[in-house]
Amino acid sequence: MSTATLSASDSGAAPSIDYLFLGAALIATAILVALVLLDGQPASAALILGGFGLGVAFLKAEFSYTASWRRFLTRGEAGGLIGGLIVIAICALAVVPVAALNKNFGGAIAPLGPSLIIGAFVFGIGMQLANGCGSGTLYTVGGGSGRMLITLAFFIVGSVFGSLSLPSTFALGGVDPVLASDYLGPWGGLAATLLSIALAAGVMIAVARKRGANWQPSRAYIVGGIVIGALCIGVFFAGGHPWSVTYGYTIWGAKIFAALGFDFSNAGFWQWPGNKQALTSSVLSDTSSLTDFGMIFGAMAAAAAAKPFASANWPPLKSLLAAAIGGLLCGWGARIGFGCNIGAFVGGVASGSLHGWVWFGAALCGNLIGIRLRPAFGLSRE
Amino acid sequence: MRKTYMAVVLFALVAIVGNHLTSPSSGRAVSPEDFAGACAPCGAPCPSKK
Repeated sequence: MSTATLSASDSGAAPSIDYLFLGAALIATAILVALVLLDGQPASAALILGGFGLGVAFLKAEFSYTASWRRFLTRGEAGGLIGGLIVIAICALAVVPVAALNKNFGGAIAPLGPSLIIGAFVFGIGMQLANGCGSGTLYTVGGGSGRMLITLAFFIVGSVFGSLSLPSTFALGGVDPVLASDYLGPWGGLAATLLSIALAAGVMIAVARKRGANWQPSRAYIVGGIVIGALCIGVFFAGGHPWSVTYGYTIWGAKIFAALGFDFSNAGFWQWPGNKQALTSSVLSDTSSLTDFGMIFGAMAAAAAAKPFASANWPPLKSLLAAAIGGLLCGWGARIGFGCNIGAFVGGVASGSLHGWVWFGAALCGNLIGIRLRPAFGLSRE
Repeated sequence: MRKTYMAVVLFALVAIVGNHLTSPSSGRAVSPEDFAGACAPCGAPCPSKK
């Protein structure tokens, strides 16, 4: 334990504060906020602070999509999934009508086709090996897990590979996005979206009951789901789009590869206008990077405020290998499948876009494979 | 692990600040879906427009 750490036994107080990492997280956040404010971008500062809040909320609620999906598939427990649906339902209350009524805002949409299904399926395998999805990786990295540092590094590499693969998988075909508000209007679209969430919750509860498992979310998941849902709305208003995570990873990786001499000028993905600009612009000009940075430092601050930071030993090599393979699969799958649990599932469904539910179904199937593979790396199937 | 973490945090912060100071800013933070013709968060075009 470092001298900067005040342990509970030394102080007699319940939490032990790791001042070194708490200070590092707060100073790093302050620097990033100051940089964007100097550029006259208060919305960017709001995205960083929104991400910070999300990092705190995820860590304190221990809100895990990966564990929730695994518990549902192995034991039938649906409480975690229901907690995730609370987030989506709250977010949808703002996203569906505002995106339909105000041209300055947009929902998370994506084409339906093989690319979406393949990407989500591969992501589902990866998230069980990595032991985290897009948001889970961010807050556990921020929370002091060395294993998830490995996951994040390979997640970034995988997403760059995915960016190189996407044009060819995209060419396999597909249909344009299907958005509920396009057919039913803003309020009809919202009603249809909430109904689809309620139906999904009903199915999950029925499965849990049939398997004799608990379906009620814990208090932490209910409170966490409400707070995370509210923060999702804040991020939506600050960024103009629903919260997304993994595009930031792709940008970070491409910038690193470019700095090492890799030429993206012949890569189709990087010739699309937004990506071409993002590759050369400041990383603080990308909405998903802003919330990602905030989330890491928010989780770091919350973790360091509660106990000595990153004090665990490194996990076994097999576990680190799973983290690397899982990260690669998640990164590749997220890019091919138009996002992760947050950008595709939460953002997609909360926008009333059909691709969100297609992504969920394909990723859930991938999770079944990933759970079966976990014991080969010394990880529990439970 | 603490030393590894502190090194990663410092390296990342220097890289972010360095990239920001040496790259043009697009003004308001954007996402690829803000650009004309984008049909997905990553800026992919709509299948019907290919």
